[in-house]
Amino acid sequence: MTTQKKKTKKKVVVVLTRGDVLKLAAAAVGSIVAAPLLTTGPLSPFGQLKQGQLEDEESVGHGERTGQYHWGMVISLDLCIGCEYCTRACTATNDVLADEPWNIVVPEKTSGRQTFFFSRPCLHCQNAPCVEVCPVNATYHREDGLVVMDYERCIGCRYCQVACPYDARQFNWQARSEDDNSYVPAWGSPEVERRPRGVVEKCTFCIHRIDAGLEKGLMPGVDREATPACVNICPVGARTFGSLKDPDSTISQLIASNPTLRLRDELGTETSVYYIPPKEGI
Amino acid sequence: MTTSTFSRKPFRLPFGIAFLIWLGLLAVLLAIGFYSAIRVFIDGLVITNLSDSVPWGLWITIDLSSIALGAGAFTLSAIVYIFGIKRLQPIIRLAVLVGFTGYSSAMVTLLMDIGRPDRFWHPWVFWNVHSVLWEVTMAITIYLMVLIIEFAPVIVEAKIFDRWPKIRVLGHFPHKFTPFLAVLGMLISLVHQSSLGATYGVIKSRPIWFKPSMPIMFVLSAIAAGPAVTVAVAYVVEWILGKRTVPHDVLRIITRFSGVGLLAYGYIKFWDLAAVTYYGSTSGVNSAFSLLQQQTPYSFSFWVGEVILGILVPAILFLVPRFNKNPAAAVVGAFSAMLGIIIHRWNVTVGGLFVPLSYSPGTTYELPIGSYFPALIEWGIGILVIGYALTVLTLAVRFLPLFEKQEH
Repeated sequence: MTTQKKKTKKKVVVVLTRGDVLKLAAAAVGSIVAAPLLTTGPLSPFGQLKQGQLEDEESVGHGERTGQYHWGMVISLDLCIGCEYCTRACTATNDVLADEPWNIVVPEKTSGRQTFFFSRPCLHCQNAPCVEVCPVNATYHREDGLVVMDYERCIGCRYCQVACPYDARQFNWQARSEDDNSYVPAWGSPEVERRPRGVVEKCTFCIHRIDAGLEKGLMPGVDREATPACVNICPVGARTFGSLKDPDSTISQLIASNPTLRLRDELGTETSVYYIPPKEGI
Repeated sequence: MTTSTFSRKPFRLPFGIAFLIWLGLLAVLLAIGFYSAIRVFIDGLVITNLSDSVPWGLWITIDLSSIALGAGAFTLSAIVYIFGIKRLQPIIRLAVLVGFTGYSSAMVTLLMDIGRPDRFWHPWVFWNVHSVLWEVTMAITIYLMVLIIEFAPVIVEAKIFDRWPKIRVLGHFPHKFTPFLAVLGMLISLVHQSSLGATYGVIKSRPIWFKPSMPIMFVLSAIAAGPAVTVAVAYVVEWILGKRTVPHDVLRIITRFSGVGLLAYGYIKFWDLAAVTYYGSTSGVNSAFSLLQQQTPYSFSFWVGEVILGILVPAILFLVPRFNKNPAAAVVGAFSAMLGIIIHRWNVTVGGLFVPLSYSPGTTYELPIGSYFPALIEWGIGILVIGYALTVLTLAVRFLPLFEKQEH
């Protein structure tokens, strides 16, 4: 340490005059007055904009659902018999690995010890945690409220799986073998491309059917060709699909006339899937 | 900044039998590591014990830990160049080296962990500014570049650059920006070290993660433990070489700083424990903790691993004057703190994944005991990281002028 120079200490003297103090005080008072005037007050250039934005926020949640439709689903827990047809049709149509289905059915008991069945596709949250956390925007909202993925962009970090409150996402841990889908052709044939190893995948509400159907002038939820496979196959009609934006759609009518619940609503996720509970309650 | 005090010559490691054994050990570690890496690339992540319900595990723990343990670089750079405590200058080169080792280790592990390593560059091209992970990725890569620029003047001093004096001149260019780089490094580091905690803190569906204290605990523990690790490396290198590396009074100051930092971290941890489990407790959090208690040695690892080994033991070894003077105590303390950090990151990552907040059909409501334990191949990647880090340190000590000139 001998090479280090000896430091010369400098004394710093701060001189404040009365004028300085007054100037500082004036500046402080000035900014206190100016700040609210410029930001929220009548002088603010943002005033109008902000109000507009607030209204927008209230009406469309996270700025999504700006399109003509907002696709949603009603699942009646009262009607569901737990046959798992939805799981099988989904697995065949979307060519999903049977061990990691997009759509699941879970038996549960009501407080009165009655068995009922909880089925769960992706809930297509309007405030979707998975969309928020994706580092590359591979998961995103469409204008019609659907949460979908770009499999060409996903890097497989699995943060969306960690963030999803509903475990609705599956990761492709390995490459698929040629014909590992035993539900084909009995339950349908693949309508979409198989996802590669190393990306996360999820339920899309069969967007390929919705998009193609709308182009042909069909209405998803009404015309079978444009409706998700799980809805079409249900033997008891427990699932209803349609636009939540259209007050006259079957789905909107169902929600209006029945008690409904949404999963983990307390998280503010605003799912697009509504459940009608069993008659005797949960 | 002055480099005249640094010797231009690296330390000579004797090419004796001991050094050859050491090189052999490194070769074994790297061989195991490369084998594991190739297996993962060929077979995919299916050969790990990760699953859809526990998608993050040992590798994420390694990422978080090595980044935290590399925090000595920005902490000490800030102390020297921003707060102007020039006395600590002799440790800067080593601190930057340890930081670089930690951050690049994290990059290696991340590359193994993502499902599509061929798309590692996507975060730079496809931005999602709302994603904490995006921000962390950007910050870590930028900071790694800052570290490389900071270290460039040391690298170009290697003997091999005698042949290319122009590169040497170029490598010394960053000297002029050292204070700027220190400020930039500190800002980026403060943000991403805490954001690593926020990565968990923002996940509202996981009860023991979703809390505002997460980022603070991550950044504080990193600031406290990072410099101590640098000190430990300095002492160990000194034992191996039998020569002074960094003046001991400098190392003692830094260990004291680490001790105080650990106490601050411990205080926040205590407050967090009280807030989360007592006066701010919710039913979700309570059931999460009782679930963890039943199924994992959470309580034991928290109190013994995180608190006693991670905070109390090193704080005593760093702060009590009798121990503070003893290099062995400093090294033991640093390893203890290091272990505490790793256990904390593990508990956060894996523990948090075990417990959902409330009912949802099909969420893994009760996992069987020990439902995640890293597979052999995952440990293999851990060995790769250790082998890589030790190799970088060995090569640097052998070929680069890391330490001040000795008086003869």
